[in-house]
Amino acid sequence: MIRSRLTRRGALKLGAGFTATALAAPAIAQQRELRIINDTNAGPERDGFVEVVEGFAAESGTEIDLSFIDHEAHKTAIRNYLVADAPDICFWFSGNRMKTFVDRELFLDITDFVEEQGYPDVLGGVISAVTIDGRQWGLPLNGTLWGNWYLSNVFDEMGLTPPSDWDGMLAFVDQTRGMDLVPMTLGTKELWPAAGLFDQFSLRTVGLDTHMALMNGEIAYTDPQLSPIFDHWEQLINAGAFLENHTSFTWQEAAALLGRREAAMINLGPFVNSAIPEADREFLTYAPFPEIADIPRFEDFSTDSVHIPARAENPEVAKEFLAYYYRPENLMKTIGPAGAVPPRNDIPAGDNPLVNQAVESLRTVAGTAQYYDRDTDPDMAQAGLNGFQEFMVRPERREQILQRLEQTRQRIYGDV
Amino acid sequence: MMDFWKHNRSWLWPTLFICPAVILFGVVIVWSSLQSLWISLHQWDGLGPKVWVGLSNYRELFQDPQFFVALKNNVIWLVLFMLAPPLGLAIALLVNQKIQGMRIAKSLFFTPLVLASVAVGVVFTWVYTPRFGLLALVYSAFGAEAPALLSNPDLVTFAVVGAALWPQIAFCMILYLAGLNNLSEELIGAGRVDGARGWDMLRHVVLPQLKEVTFIAIAITAIGALRSFDMISVMTQGGPFGSSSVLAYEMYEQSIFSYRFGYGAAIAAVLFVIMLVFIGWYLSRIMRAEELR
Repeated sequence: MIRSRLTRRGALKLGAGFTATALAAPAIAQQRELRIINDTNAGPERDGFVEVVEGFAAESGTEIDLSFIDHEAHKTAIRNYLVADAPDICFWFSGNRMKTFVDRELFLDITDFVEEQGYPDVLGGVISAVTIDGRQWGLPLNGTLWGNWYLSNVFDEMGLTPPSDWDGMLAFVDQTRGMDLVPMTLGTKELWPAAGLFDQFSLRTVGLDTHMALMNGEIAYTDPQLSPIFDHWEQLINAGAFLENHTSFTWQEAAALLGRREAAMINLGPFVNSAIPEADREFLTYAPFPEIADIPRFEDFSTDSVHIPARAENPEVAKEFLAYYYRPENLMKTIGPAGAVPPRNDIPAGDNPLVNQAVESLRTVAGTAQYYDRDTDPDMAQAGLNGFQEFMVRPERREQILQRLEQTRQRIYGDV
Repeated sequence: MMDFWKHNRSWLWPTLFICPAVILFGVVIVWSSLQSLWISLHQWDGLGPKVWVGLSNYRELFQDPQFFVALKNNVIWLVLFMLAPPLGLAIALLVNQKIQGMRIAKSLFFTPLVLASVAVGVVFTWVYTPRFGLLALVYSAFGAEAPALLSNPDLVTFAVVGAALWPQIAFCMILYLAGLNNLSEELIGAGRVDGARGWDMLRHVVLPQLKEVTFIAIAITAIGALRSFDMISVMTQGGPFGSSSVLAYEMYEQSIFSYRFGYGAAIAAVLFVIMLVFIGWYLSRIMRAEELR
């Protein structure tokens, strides 16, 4: 039995009462229950997850209470429910974001379960995303490779090729502007896409080690060795590479310009396909952000994960569910549609071009970060997201912005 | 026992009846206000232990440029929202005329009150969206380019207030319509006998009778302006880069996104003090009115 409902716990409890009475099954007092909160409340990923949950309910005879919460709203709701009213399964981001809850003992240590199921063998290096101090606190789900995306059919029509180095990038900006195209469409209304650009410039100029040191608060934001990041970024901003008034657009609205033939590229993850019209979707193509300094290629590769809250009421059933969900065929039902890279290496290459492109591209990557707001402290991230958005609108305020970020960094991490 | 009851029931009954309200108010309002004042003296991430930091949250607050941006925006909200009572009165006077079809006009003016303010925010955001929005289409019909209101740090607050004014004006209109229904026919008749009409009638006979309604409209509008949050959250999320933030939104952002509940509580405390001025004024007026009665 599945009760699938939309958000807002309070009202739901009431609803649950009704459903429970209505469904009151005769006799058998078998009490196997599982409560799941999922934050993908739209699209084929959601349908895929509902299918998985229905499958598990049928196979194991468990009564499942499945709630969907809006993705952005979930980011604030989780802290409440982990403490006050924990479900048995929840979804989150691995890395520093996960560490926040592990440090406060809100996620269950599932190391033994992971060993028992033999996951370390099929996960390989990906397991590090959910490992802290040698213990596992969740299972990695989908890997998102960030970079530039364009429609190959549009590029063919217009005779464009994605730039691969810095001079090529500048020429590309001039060329596309000459064709009345926005070179890079961008929506920073929700702030974080600007931080993705910061990561790109950082990983292409100062490299992974310095980038991660900055993320860990070990380098000052005002440190002169970071200036290549902002020099190059400013150059592109001043060249008019980005969508005007990007602070008014969400990423979906910005990405829609690709399909409308009004923009050439967007810097995001493969999930951008949800904002591309059906007819063009198969042409969505990945291109790494152009090379800038002569250093190995580093990319943002972020991992989402599934967790059992420490205060879950049915942790054993939750583990059973994870084992079921983590079967290759079930896993792909939810991560395939977004074009994400599967965490298990025993999943055969499918015919999903987005997944295959990412897998192929990852072979030449020398190292990965997750994403600005997943790699650094949440408090720092909030200041950084605002600062980067401001920089993209008013690059001349660079000094003030960096000074402000440095103040925040000092408050959080102390002196360098 | 019965004796005790008989002797004291004059105060026992009222006490009994007022108890639920007092308990509820005490727990939900007073106790939680005191608690957030207490939190504002700590450094707390909302999950872990609280660390006592004394007044340092307040010290940081008064050095934070973002705090003053939010404060300035609160002032803009407050000033512009004061347009709502006079505009509401004007519309109320208009739709109060006995003209055919006025009922339809009345219900049209009433619509924004029925909409959730979040819906109003979303609709206005669409209107303002550059390239696709209604505003952009109207401008382009005249061959001009619409200003990107929500992207311009200097205009964004005005754009959001504009959206928020719409339901607020309707609200004031309702208040005034109710007030107009209670006008004393005798006074108006007397005024007419004395030859008052038009502007004089409005100024010297009608408006004085609407004094109480005006007072309520202004007080509620002021408090509504200060606690503005939903529109900002829906339309701009305080952006671009914090330029449309107000204290209430700043408090939310600091507590929820930056995990700084102590700092957020300090902002709440400042907002509370500002609101206290208006609430105090409101209460003193009401008490005086009751004493006169």
